[in-house]
Amino acid sequence: MKSPLVEIEDLRVEFGSARAVDGASLRVFEGEVLALVGESGSGKTTLIRAIQGLQPMTSGAVRLEGQTATARHRDTVQMVFQDPTGALNPRRTIYEIVAEGLRIARFAGDEEAKVREALGMAGLRPVERFLPRYPHEISGGQRQRVVIAGAMVTSPRLLLADEPVASLDASIRGEILALLRNLVDTTGLAVLVVTHDLGLAWNIADRVAVMYLGRIVETGMTEELLAHPQHPYTKALLSVVPETRQMEQQILAGEIPDPRKIPKGCRFHPRCPVMRSGEAARLGIDERCKSDDPAIIAADTIRGAACHAVELQIRGLRSGV
Amino acid sequence: MIELTPQPATRETVLSVRDLHVTYTVASGQVPAVRGVSFDLQRGDSLGLAGESGCGKSTLVNAILRLLPPRTEVKGQVLIEGEDVLTMKPGRLRAVRWTKGAIVFQGALHALNPVQRIGAQIVEPILLHKTEATEAAANKRVADLLEQVGIPAGRAREYPHQLSGGQRQRVLIAMALACDPTILVADEPTTALDLMVQAQVLWLLERLRAERGLTMVFITHDLSVLTYVCDRLGIMYGGRMIEQGPSDVVFEDPQHPYTRALAAAFPTIGDQSSRMKPAGLAGDPPDPSQLPPGCSFRPRCPVAIPACAEIDPPLYDAGPHRKAACILVARR
Repeated sequence: MKSPLVEIEDLRVEFGSARAVDGASLRVFEGEVLALVGESGSGKTTLIRAIQGLQPMTSGAVRLEGQTATARHRDTVQMVFQDPTGALNPRRTIYEIVAEGLRIARFAGDEEAKVREALGMAGLRPVERFLPRYPHEISGGQRQRVVIAGAMVTSPRLLLADEPVASLDASIRGEILALLRNLVDTTGLAVLVVTHDLGLAWNIADRVAVMYLGRIVETGMTEELLAHPQHPYTKALLSVVPETRQMEQQILAGEIPDPRKIPKGCRFHPRCPVMRSGEAARLGIDERCKSDDPAIIAADTIRGAACHAVELQIRGLRSGV
Repeated sequence: MIELTPQPATRETVLSVRDLHVTYTVASGQVPAVRGVSFDLQRGDSLGLAGESGCGKSTLVNAILRLLPPRTEVKGQVLIEGEDVLTMKPGRLRAVRWTKGAIVFQGALHALNPVQRIGAQIVEPILLHKTEATEAAANKRVADLLEQVGIPAGRAREYPHQLSGGQRQRVLIAMALACDPTILVADEPTTALDLMVQAQVLWLLERLRAERGLTMVFITHDLSVLTYVCDRLGIMYGGRMIEQGPSDVVFEDPQHPYTRALAAAFPTIGDQSSRMKPAGLAGDPPDPSQLPPGCSFRPRCPVAIPACAEIDPPLYDAGPHRKAACILVARR
């Protein structure tokens, strides 16, 4: 694989007694789409802010191209938000909206040429038709393309996309995802896409990382992870996705716990189907699940799950049992 | 069944929408939002309505309970257990809205009063419609309703902000069930919720339908969610129903080219044909005030033929219990 663009090592971010990110390690490589999957309260947003250099860290490290991430990296890292209508200033023309990033970055070259290039890359052609328009004069799908053009205008290395198609109509969803994938394939851009949509991951992501209560609990190549999930949380998530209807549903009770009260032992054990079904007791690991926190998945891991049951299984395979 | 043909008397039709037209009046003129939609639902049926923003699906369900802005022109019939909602007197309509047909809106935070305890909000329609004789009985009913939707009865004394998003959505469902309605309309009830919470709410709705014989109309833009919950699907485009039939076959083997595009937008995980190939549909949904002549899907249709510009297709038979509004279906 190519060199890592982003390296996160054992990141911890605390807000008072709340541990929003609680030991997360992750790498993002150039030319890949990484889907970060998790529910509200899993720490995805805090992790993204840390990559932008906007989030004071309690401990750990976030490096961009080998250097500590700071807000000064805003040309390297750009953000695509969920709701394009809210992200665009209604009183500016498309030209001004897209040029803004260049002005903030004090770009000294030909501004108009850059803006035209970015709109073309985002598939807004003919470019002249869009330059003088206002956001309300174009469709929702075109607005999201403007947001992407505004992000691409500074030639970033990494796009952080927070649910980029969740607020878009179904037929437009595919077009925007195809655009993101195409930008990655043609420019070597990296995209970290935060989503709870596993179908999106199947559509465009090379790798998937699953986050639960401040930590990455499973990571792997998309096809491998979605076809053979290891962590009981990933398995449960996949079972409730309407796109995988053949699996038996495992609807977890309750909601993600309060980050001020992260359960002792494995953070997932109070909701874990392996615990609840008595499987953990049968394997003789239930006490471990309740008292020992599974090891953090190292940043350079290609395939892994933070789960005592998975660890036991792998050890069994290695020793030939 | 969502067929117009009369059904055997063994199953009772509880909702019948007949040639419904809804036209909004705006500053710039008349906007036809629903253009001739008909369907029948029997007790215990669940119909899922899907389509893009502006296709008329929310207008359609709001018309069922007459929740439309003043000066909106509504034509056709909406019969709930044989009674026409569109011609009801205001007093009767108010009663019907809770006791016959109730609605669960999306955005649970905005639909609840932030300064009133949730128990008090649920008890209000019960007392208003005298579903329970005494206040004590009504409070007992609130406790039962909360338990039914999976919230401990003791939390009736809490305020909406003390509940999570999923719990608030459950409170809205409990409220909609307060007067034991025949029909439950759910407008994007899970859109703002997390995956696992969404599954919990869908499972709850499904269980309530099975236990109480509720008839459900369910709206979402996520076709895959509908297939999961509803036994019938109706796909809307430009104010018309353009395809209808049993949900699994409509999703697996769509007949209308628009339904095909919509189904392809939700990939099946593990299906290699969609891996790294997100499928979309070029173009935008039509502006209801400027519908093209002929078939309204024609400008975006990948298989359109010249005749499509002249005929605005009605629903043609497209297999057992299925219909699709496409002249290519009629010509097969």
